[in-house]
Amino acid sequence: MSKRGFVDKEEGWMSTRVRARFTLLLGASLVAVIGLVISGSALGSANQSCGTVTLNEQAWTGSTANTYVAKYVLEKELGCTVKITKITEIPVFQAMADGKVDAVLEDWNHVDQYKQFVTKQKSVVLVRSNGLVGHIGWFVPKYLLKQYPAFKTWRGLKGKESVFKSPESGSQGMFLGGDPSYVQKDKELIGLLGLDFKHVTVGAEPAEVARFTQQIKQQKPVIFYWWTPQYLNASLNLAEVKLPPRFKGCQDDASSGGTVKKYKCAYAADPLNKLLSKEFTQSGSPAVSVLRKFKWSNADQNLVAKWIAGDKVKPDKAAEKWVKANAAKVNAWLK
Amino acid sequence: MSVAAAEIRTAAPALSHRPWWRGKIVQTAGIVALMYLAYRAWSLEYPWPDRLTWNALPFRIDDFQIWLLDQENAEDPSFVFAVFDGFATFVDNLVGWFNRFLLWLTWAGTIAAGTSVALRFGGWRAAAWVGGAFASFALMGLWEESMQTLALMLAAVGLSLSVGIPLGIVAGLSNRFQQAITPILDAMQIVPAFAYLMPVVILFSVGPGAAVVSTMIYAIPPAVRITALGIRGVAANTVEAANSMGSTRRQVLTKVQLPLSRRMLLLGVNQTILFALSMVVIAGLIGGGGLGDVVTSGLYSNPSLAILAGVAIVVLAMALDRATEASADRTDPTRRHLTEAERGRLRMATAAFAAAVFAVVALAKVFGVAAIYPETATAQDWLLAKVQAALDYVTDPATFIFAITEPLGNFILVEIFQPLQQFLIEAPWFTTVLGLTAIALVVSGLRPALTTLAMLASIGVIGMWEPAMDTLSQVLVATVITVLVGVALGVWAAESKTVSRSLRPVNDVLQTLPQLIYIIPFIYLMPVSIVPGIVAGVLYAFPVVVRLVERGVRDVAPETVEAASAFGATRRQVLTKVKIPLAGDAIMLGVNQGIIMVLAVVVIGGLVGSGGLGYLVAQGLVRGEFGLGVVASLAILALGIALDRVTQATQGKRKEGIE
Repeated sequence: MSKRGFVDKEEGWMSTRVRARFTLLLGASLVAVIGLVISGSALGSANQSCGTVTLNEQAWTGSTANTYVAKYVLEKELGCTVKITKITEIPVFQAMADGKVDAVLEDWNHVDQYKQFVTKQKSVVLVRSNGLVGHIGWFVPKYLLKQYPAFKTWRGLKGKESVFKSPESGSQGMFLGGDPSYVQKDKELIGLLGLDFKHVTVGAEPAEVARFTQQIKQQKPVIFYWWTPQYLNASLNLAEVKLPPRFKGCQDDASSGGTVKKYKCAYAADPLNKLLSKEFTQSGSPAVSVLRKFKWSNADQNLVAKWIAGDKVKPDKAAEKWVKANAAKVNAWLK
Repeated sequence: MSVAAAEIRTAAPALSHRPWWRGKIVQTAGIVALMYLAYRAWSLEYPWPDRLTWNALPFRIDDFQIWLLDQENAEDPSFVFAVFDGFATFVDNLVGWFNRFLLWLTWAGTIAAGTSVALRFGGWRAAAWVGGAFASFALMGLWEESMQTLALMLAAVGLSLSVGIPLGIVAGLSNRFQQAITPILDAMQIVPAFAYLMPVVILFSVGPGAAVVSTMIYAIPPAVRITALGIRGVAANTVEAANSMGSTRRQVLTKVQLPLSRRMLLLGVNQTILFALSMVVIAGLIGGGGLGDVVTSGLYSNPSLAILAGVAIVVLAMALDRATEASADRTDPTRRHLTEAERGRLRMATAAFAAAVFAVVALAKVFGVAAIYPETATAQDWLLAKVQAALDYVTDPATFIFAITEPLGNFILVEIFQPLQQFLIEAPWFTTVLGLTAIALVVSGLRPALTTLAMLASIGVIGMWEPAMDTLSQVLVATVITVLVGVALGVWAAESKTVSRSLRPVNDVLQTLPQLIYIIPFIYLMPVSIVPGIVAGVLYAFPVVVRLVERGVRDVAPETVEAASAFGATRRQVLTKVKIPLAGDAIMLGVNQGIIMVLAVVVIGGLVGSGGLGYLVAQGLVRGEFGLGVVASLAILALGIALDRVTQATQGKRKEGIE
């Protein structure tokens, strides 16, 4: 650049060239300003009574189902403009504190974040239960129960662990662990129950799905960490292995530390929560009440999620289909 | 990671009948044998002692995060936060403005504008790349998301360069600054993004601003390094000549050093673009939007859509790269000397293109062309069906592919990985520390050995010894495979122009295609936890090794090759007896760079089941265990520095030679 400038000066070209560039720049910025004005005015014409509501969708398909059903209802019934963000689970708390996200419709009990943002800062409002009940457990494919009916409970696994052996686990049975981001205590449970399993970490949810579907396709034995609601359950045909009953003070999240003994029980059936940003709840938007009342069942969510991920229906269309077939449920949110 | 740095350093190797590395290999083998004996004698008896561990460290870091959160969300936050907030808002607006402008142009106008700019400044090839890229976004039905990502990347690349190039110039002029900044750049590149996403979100909230900041952290280092190299690469006598003619320091810089290092600056731009585009998915996690979001949610609900979005990211990277390269080539002042008439013609061309773009936009407005390419006219469904069919075939355990890949995966796991992992985890900690330090001493010298010792010790102190040894065993397996593949292909590329030319797009694809997109289908082929992570490392690292080895073999002095031929050596003999031994330096450098690249994707390994440090880092972000994630990231950094020092033999030698 500068070298050319040097040559230009020698030839006495600089002034005209600079002027030409300046004109070009001016033209470009003029176009830009017009662009801004036009797009700005287009944005300003949103519906006044509700305004814009920002919902956060998480990576799993159930969350997509929640978000698009809520979006459809808010747009059609209240005339809101709904924006969808896709921020990952932990950072979304700060996003709500900053008022950049208004609502999360499915949160799997992030206790530490509740402490910081809900109790201490009061920047996020926790709304207990969206109707969904999350439950984690140990699952095996049903075909396996034909040969080993005892696998219905953990006691039946004892002594038979080697059925699940793989090159990775050597002589032990292989237990496929869950996504690092999900609540889990399987390593502890395996030890407490005295089972001869090797806990193998398989990584994120899609990676875990890849691992066990490959076993299931070959009709091989496999035991793994899994949960409901999950749309794949309908097509996978799984059975849950019964773990020891729950007792008072029994815990599920091994990362919270403490004595190992408190993990020796089945995972709880936890109602899942909704989160609203404090700023949003005080905005007076009619959407607040609808999102507070938003509630549906595991079966509802699995159905919509199956349409989206299994049948590849566009989320907007899947939501429309469900809302039209479930007017009674939707009306309860609108009251 | 500093590929260019490495390339420069591989000057023609010194001629000697006994390669310098032969003795070192024997000594290294001896040290490894001693370590093995210690492992056999005291297996599992000496894990890292608890007394030497700072167990509270993750909690201290958690406390820091809570403190930061409290400060940021306080009633009356410090003005420091206002500064961060102001920057985030500025970038949010900038990205939003780019994005709205692209939408305002309408899809037709955007294609016209992009293609015209590329044609005017870069020529036909560049225009074909840009036009083709836009057309593919339209056909894939990903227009809106691609424009969001394009806007985000324009801001991220622009800001990275505007910070990186000035810093690079200073680093090129001042040795002291260069020395001070290098460890910071290393850290920016090796520490996984997952570790700093949360602090970024606290300071910059979520949205395009935060996404751009986290992209910049990764994309600035290559800009700095390569610019500095370019400045340093200008021949000393040229600078002296300019000085002796009475040029000021500023004149030397702007009239001599910068113009002469133009090609290196360009390589810096190229690397910055590729590095930035490789962050699209991670940026999506904190509100970057666009194609990154499609990849993330696609992995859960629609893998073939995730693949399409990944292809769009690669196409965007390559189009940006080829267009900037072509424009810089055509406007190179040292190559073109424009006459007055030519200048007039160019100005006319500019005006004509501007008028054409204006006409297209005006027509588009008149005919009501949409901002976003209409969904009904895309080939998305057809493409998705094709991709899905291919995926179904690959993931089917009944095909012959699986019959080959499954045993291969099991073999790597059982015969190679597990023994190595056992050796590293179960051997007494002090023999591992001392052994690796001794290897560093033999291969690289005293100072690198001391650094290695310090790094390994700190891994233990922060309580990461076992996962770090787990990760180390994965890194070693991946590096060995990388080097085998890389050396073979590199030698081949040095002998064949066709191979050499086809490597560049392979490199671009593997550097920018989000790894999870091809690794998750891969899990179906080799369903064992460690192997997909190792494959991710190999695929990310091997193109760099190929390039280094190719360069090394090519640079073998032609006289030597001629002499060998004159004595009647066959082509094969020339290759195996002359070229490859003389390229030993470059191959060693390939090992060094390969290890660093493999470490850069350790977190991807954690997401597909590799365990070790990568798993802990991933858990740190997604489970909100910030302290744990940071500590594991520090361990990755320490491991990276230690491995770099153990294997940097050539770099040390070269530096002595140059200075």
